[in-house]
Amino acid sequence: MPRGTHTAPHPAPRITHHASRFTFHVSPPPDAMPSIPIIMPQLGESIAEATVINLLVPVGAQVQTDEDIIEVETSKATMNVASPCPGRVEQFVAKPGESYPVGAVLGHLQASQEDAARLGLDAPTAPKDGPDSEDSQPAGRTQTEGVQKGVQPTVRGLPVPANATGASYMSPRMKARMMELGLHAADLAGLPGSGAAGRVTIQDFEKFIANLEKHKLTQASSMRVAVADAMRRSWTRPLATVALPVCFDALLNHRKTCNPKPGPALYALRALALALAENSAPAGRLIGNKIVHPSSIDVGFAVEAEDGVLVPVIRNAEKRPLKDLVQRYDELVELARQRKLPADATGGSIATVTNFGTFGLTWATPIPLPEQTLVLGMGAARRVPNWDPAQAQFVPAMEANVTLSFDHRVLDGGAAGRLLARVAQLLASPEKL
Amino acid sequence: MQRNDCANAFGAGRLPPMGHALFNHNTVEEVSSVRDTYVKAYRVMLLARILDDKFASLYRMGKIHGGVFLGRGQEALSVSVGLALHKGDVFAPLIRDGAGRLAFGEPILDGVRTYLGSALGPMRARDGNIHRGRPRDGLLVMISHLGAMISVVNGALLAHRLKGITGTVGAACIGDGATSTGAFHEAVNQAAVEKLPLVLIVANNHYAYSTPTERQFACRSLLDKAAGYGIEGLAVDGTDLSACLKVVGDAVSQARAGRGPQLVVAELLRLCGHGEHDDASYIDPALRQSLAGRDCLKVAESYLLDNNWADAQALAAWRNEVVQKVEESVAKVQREPGPDPYKEDWCALASKHLSEGHDRSESR
Amino acid sequence: MSITYLEAIREAQARALADDPRVFIYGQDVGAFGGAFKATKNLAQRFPGRVLDSPISEDAMLGLAVGAAIQGMRPIVEMQFADFSTPAFNQIVNQAATLHWRTRVPCPITVRLPSGGTSGSGPFHSQSMEAIYAHYPGLIVMTPATVEDAYSMLLEAVAIDDPVIFCEHKYLYYHLKAERLPTEAMPTGKARIARTGRDMTLVAYSAMVHEALAVAEELATEGTEIEVVDLRSVKPLDTDTVMASVARTGRLLCVGEAFPWGGVTAEVIARVASEGFGLLDAPPQRLNAKDTPVPYHPSLWAAHRPTAGSIAAAARRLLRL
Repeated sequence: MPRGTHTAPHPAPRITHHASRFTFHVSPPPDAMPSIPIIMPQLGESIAEATVINLLVPVGAQVQTDEDIIEVETSKATMNVASPCPGRVEQFVAKPGESYPVGAVLGHLQASQEDAARLGLDAPTAPKDGPDSEDSQPAGRTQTEGVQKGVQPTVRGLPVPANATGASYMSPRMKARMMELGLHAADLAGLPGSGAAGRVTIQDFEKFIANLEKHKLTQASSMRVAVADAMRRSWTRPLATVALPVCFDALLNHRKTCNPKPGPALYALRALALALAENSAPAGRLIGNKIVHPSSIDVGFAVEAEDGVLVPVIRNAEKRPLKDLVQRYDELVELARQRKLPADATGGSIATVTNFGTFGLTWATPIPLPEQTLVLGMGAARRVPNWDPAQAQFVPAMEANVTLSFDHRVLDGGAAGRLLARVAQLLASPEKL
Repeated sequence: MQRNDCANAFGAGRLPPMGHALFNHNTVEEVSSVRDTYVKAYRVMLLARILDDKFASLYRMGKIHGGVFLGRGQEALSVSVGLALHKGDVFAPLIRDGAGRLAFGEPILDGVRTYLGSALGPMRARDGNIHRGRPRDGLLVMISHLGAMISVVNGALLAHRLKGITGTVGAACIGDGATSTGAFHEAVNQAAVEKLPLVLIVANNHYAYSTPTERQFACRSLLDKAAGYGIEGLAVDGTDLSACLKVVGDAVSQARAGRGPQLVVAELLRLCGHGEHDDASYIDPALRQSLAGRDCLKVAESYLLDNNWADAQALAAWRNEVVQKVEESVAKVQREPGPDPYKEDWCALASKHLSEGHDRSESR
Repeated sequence: MSITYLEAIREAQARALADDPRVFIYGQDVGAFGGAFKATKNLAQRFPGRVLDSPISEDAMLGLAVGAAIQGMRPIVEMQFADFSTPAFNQIVNQAATLHWRTRVPCPITVRLPSGGTSGSGPFHSQSMEAIYAHYPGLIVMTPATVEDAYSMLLEAVAIDDPVIFCEHKYLYYHLKAERLPTEAMPTGKARIARTGRDMTLVAYSAMVHEALAVAEELATEGTEIEVVDLRSVKPLDTDTVMASVARTGRLLCVGEAFPWGGVTAEVIARVASEGFGLLDAPPQRLNAKDTPVPYHPSLWAAHRPTAGSIAAAARRLLRL
């Protein structure tokens, strides 16, 4: 031994954990009560862990199946972890105030063999030693047969993947190729990927493109491409729809008295404009954490034109009564159909109205323009029986669904419903529009 | 496979060939008399000293980037080496060999340009201060690692031998500190084994930067190493020009005559800091008072006067001439441009087609 | 009539000595003994006075080579093992590599480094130093993988006006044979497609090229076609060929026998990632030796460096990403 070195000190005596005292793992007698782990369950989509708030029963308590034994808190709510079976609470591992991941062992129950077997949990779970524990020894040390190493996830909870190798992503090559071809992720929806985690690989992509050549291909019109792009962009938002059945008798009767007859959509447009003039917040846009409020009540209306839809706009629609707008409306419709709308007649609207009833449709969920939060839809009116409480009988009425599709980031069902109700109210007095 | 022609490989050098242009028309070979040699040596020492003073002054004015390393106190030894060498010999000077370089034929402008960072200098400002030379003319360019140049001199001498060139000598200058390096050891041993005509000049100025020789080696004298390597060893008083000329001249002659490597160990003191940033306060005052602490330039001046080889006017005239020459050189170089980083090719290879041409983004 | 990798190196030196009077060989035991690996066997006899035994002084050996090169010679310095070039490191990177840049005088030396591991060699007889030398500007670094390249690239190394670090692989010395010596060769700086494929690019150099080819064979039976790129020289590194290959395959695995930190594999991946990002369909991968000195014991040594088995596993992993 080289001069100057000294021998290593004797290793410190090891503390052996006897099974009988530290019952992370059990060596049960022949008529054993197996130890069932209490596992942190899957508490909700995207919840990966929860904080223990309270241990609701003491150690040693007898509990029933599904009895609440631990109170935990997630980012969404407070909830309880329930007992998987009848048994006696043997011990808690979890401590109040600490967080544990989904699938973690929070404690143990002592249960009967039958209950354990029924749950598929009849093998007691592993000792405290992990694979990198200094005390770990090869399997076979433990006295109990069938002891498994490592904590097994329970049948109840979903294991949280620790590391998704090859997680789903779009490779730089894919992105470059898609840009080259002018494609978007929407174009590839429904293309199954053969890569890890279902990733679409460049090979999948090229096969898909090559395959397209085998089908009949026609050129999409530029209008079609433009609409496709607008809808794709709009759909990146969470959209929702609410609807109200509205009695159209008043509207239809009023319309008969007019000459020229206003388009039904114009009624809706005016009603929407007036409702938004009272409260324009629902037509605001959410950019980041700011709501951008509309500056003038410009409302557009959808006109089918050739291979797509154009949206001419009535500026300051709340300022002029319906009869003053009819001519302008009709002009715009004609210009739109001929694809001759001037630039200042489109764009800049804060909401759109669409009359899908003209196609005979009673129900639809239109998609708002990507730069707008709202689209008001009108379905076809039908004669339906309506309960009249005054006469205590059904009377015939013309009824149509009026829908409001909206960007759910900006408003919730309540606000949407209130706006829609106000529009319905206004439509009930068409002479005031 | 193409073989590159030797001449093509080295091409027409863009530097004008080095000549002994200092003193009109006198080449070293033509100077025969002791007096002429002594006077010539003195005048080179004087030039080296004035040049060094100028560098020191420029440094203090902040006109020089990086370090300034002077040869004050070593001129006699150094000039002796440069004068003993002929054209065709190989010379590896070190930090304090300004006098030796000038004697060997290095133009004054080379030193001034390298110190002032002129793009027209031999190193094109890619290296600075005493890292300069003209390898094709036998004046090797040092790298900073001490002792590393000796084996390069060996290689040049071996090349001569392989090419059938005889009668040449290679001189390498080092200090007491460098004798501690492995490179020194390997190279001296190599020269001895190959019996190369190497003259190794050790300027023992007793300090390697601040480290005294007691911390540098344990042998009684550096000369003892010669026996260890199996080569000749000669001692000389480095402050005495006359002695230096004789001893260094003898060593070079011996080597040229095929007697193998020669080790010359000279005693002297550095009359400046290791660099101009250093005040050398660590030098033992006793050493300064000793013979080794004498200023070789003053010693030479006295010798000239004592021997009537020059009078006071001559000395003054030579001094003025040198001062003027130095001033002119510096003034000229100060008007020269520095290197333009945008005009650099930033290529370290002679074979441009093999260069990876990095900063690839710039070329797109 | 077959010729080994080592014999090819010997033949190249013989040819260089014969064709160019400026060439000489300098190394330990290279003279009468013919070199530790017999790379210079009989050359001292055939070319008297031009194959010289040096003392054990790697620093002085390289300094001498530089000095001789300045005087117009073209020395070939044989280091007995690549691992022993470290005492010469200063002369290589500070003297030889900077000479031309600083002085305009080229330094046409060739330094032969017997590189790479063989079983039982241990930490100081097994190293691969190409990355260390490639890091320094002013050096060419060659890593021939075939008998043909060992011959023609050594000849070219001698002809090149810059210092060339010639990393010859000891394992290939006797194990690799070819029918005959080549009469023409790819230029230095071009990589070779050793095997074409469309599913993955496997970049390798020196002995690893053969492991890579074995992997390609094996995976071909599974329906995967791997393209193997033999870099041939590590500096200059043929980025264009590698990039073109990745353009075809979309996946890159780079393999090297050297230590992992900052090696050739890192350099290849850095270049492909920064210049060919849009070509990659999966993250680029690399495989190197472990980050420890090269072990002595055969079982440890076998696990330390990449092998066909570990490369195949890495390739399969990459295919699944």
